[in-house]
Amino acid sequence: MFNDREFISTLDMLKYEHLDVRAVTLGINLADCSSHDLSVFKSNIRKKMTTLARNLVTVCNRVGDKYGIEVVNKRMSISPIAVVAAPFSAVQMIDIAKTLDEIADEVNVDFIGGFSALVEKGIANGDRALIEAIPEALASTRRLCSSVNVASTRAGINMDAVLRMAEAIKKAAELTKDSDGLACAKLCVFCNIPEDVPFMAGAYLGTGEADAVINVGVSGPGVVKRAIDRALEGNARPDLGQIAEIIKRTACKVTRVGELIGREVAENLGIPFGVVDLSLAPTPTVGDSVGEIFQSLGLLSIGVPGSTAALAMLNDAVKKGGAFASSYVGGLSGAFIPVSEDLNIEEATRKGYLNIEKLEALTSVCSVGLDMVAIPGHTSVDTLAGIIADEMAVGMINSKTTATRLIPVPGKKEGDRAHFGGLLGHASIIAVKNVDGVNNFIRHGGRIPAPIHSLKN
Amino acid sequence: MKKVIITVIGPDRPGIIAGVSGILLKHECNIENITQTTLQSEFAGICLVGMPSGLTMNELQKSMDNELAEQSLQINIKHLDDANDNKDKPVTEPFIVSTCGPDRQGIVAVISKVIAGSGVNISNLKAVFEGGDNPDRNIMIFEIDVPVHLDFQNFSDELRQKASEIGLDLNIQHKNIFDAVNRI
Repeated sequence: MFNDREFISTLDMLKYEHLDVRAVTLGINLADCSSHDLSVFKSNIRKKMTTLARNLVTVCNRVGDKYGIEVVNKRMSISPIAVVAAPFSAVQMIDIAKTLDEIADEVNVDFIGGFSALVEKGIANGDRALIEAIPEALASTRRLCSSVNVASTRAGINMDAVLRMAEAIKKAAELTKDSDGLACAKLCVFCNIPEDVPFMAGAYLGTGEADAVINVGVSGPGVVKRAIDRALEGNARPDLGQIAEIIKRTACKVTRVGELIGREVAENLGIPFGVVDLSLAPTPTVGDSVGEIFQSLGLLSIGVPGSTAALAMLNDAVKKGGAFASSYVGGLSGAFIPVSEDLNIEEATRKGYLNIEKLEALTSVCSVGLDMVAIPGHTSVDTLAGIIADEMAVGMINSKTTATRLIPVPGKKEGDRAHFGGLLGHASIIAVKNVDGVNNFIRHGGRIPAPIHSLKN
Repeated sequence: MKKVIITVIGPDRPGIIAGVSGILLKHECNIENITQTTLQSEFAGICLVGMPSGLTMNELQKSMDNELAEQSLQINIKHLDDANDNKDKPVTEPFIVSTCGPDRQGIVAVISKVIAGSGVNISNLKAVFEGGDNPDRNIMIFEIDVPVHLDFQNFSDELRQKASEIGLDLNIQHKNIFDAVNRI
């Protein structure tokens, strides 16, 4: 039997504080679909994916109804296409991308992630074709997401790949200039990409995974914010250690909800449960913002001095809460700061509290990176590659995941507005230094060696 | 030993449980299970008691009435029918129905009618006023046992529909989610 407070706080979390299961992601291993014949390969992946995902949406909705909690997105992640479709050309890769989009449509999932390549140490034939195909593939599909891992703590930073990705991003933006470069919102460049992320656009299924797996992404910035607000409402004056404890406990509760739902969906589908990823992932809705948490903690806005310390505390407390709640916590598990997807963070960039340099600093302590950052359309490939390289360096040296999801908005300059629609939100275009200049450092190419602490064995 | 159910209702005060259990001990009865609650100033208790074969329910009732007369308690003793045991009960899953909205007549009647109409049993029911300065935050919590064969979608749709007709927001959730959040 629960006491009144337990009942009410649980109901409030679910009803008023935007606690939801952000994504149930069905990971599908496509290694056994490989073929040298494109039509055979496409037929194999269609058969395997539609068979496994046939009941995904129905089951998620049924389990969501049972627990009174919405499973907002149902998604699929697949083995990196650059690996399983390695024999094919860039043109054929685009054909595969369209097939994947059709499959997503057929089984009614929001997104498929895994139009991906892992090139941190070198670029193979399949990788080269895939990266070349990315702009057209993303511009001509709606539900396909792409990610490319160009760096890792064990391998260093593949600067040739960084440059190729900067070119791909520019081209993808140009191909979707009518929608403010929307294709780039479906493209992440990673350092230390995790193999089990349920969140988009970075989801793919690692090569060490089983045939199929259910990974769950839970969110809840609103729940964390309310917990902090409640603690600060009364006469008690909790110090930061006590506030961190409150965040940790809240994160624990949220993670347990995610694991409950994930395990039940997995059991219903007869597929093993993988991980729960607790990430504070905002949506462009008031009360569902990571930025608002900074203000609850006493800062004028995310971006002002003190923000990096606050985010470090928040991210760590979220991870600790998650680790206490479940033995199978994975993915990114921390706080996201996607600029356009969070009304409050977007406002901070508009008001000048948050610039790209401070965003980069924040990414050294949060769970991802420069996420959904709109930059001027005339940003040069060199400068874009420089931003990516810097972000990769943060991840490589700190043995953590970092990523970029940058949108050079065609035809727009600093201070203009870009609109991406829906959960992707809108953004003011942020200033970039040396915006259309050259960068001879990047043009040296090659691979920045792995740091000394990669030598662990 | 025969089994009886004893219910005790009356104004709450120190010594009710001590009085009842003292009489039971004197008659060599064994309390097998017991629960009590208070609502404002009223006490209500119910206990499952094993009685020795030489004792009748009448004798026990008289003894209780005489010795607890000053406490203004209503005491009722009834025989427990073993046939009530779980034999024919359907397999169920525990759910929590919660309603939230302004206080008004008929909340319990309307909601419990839908629940009963679907053959669902209420195992616990309580009202919580959590409004503070908001008079609309009256919450009723029904713990129910939903038979697994019931069409859950129809049942929950009907509950929401009836609740909305009387201006209430209704949620129905499997109890496990409360366990997951509140119990480690």
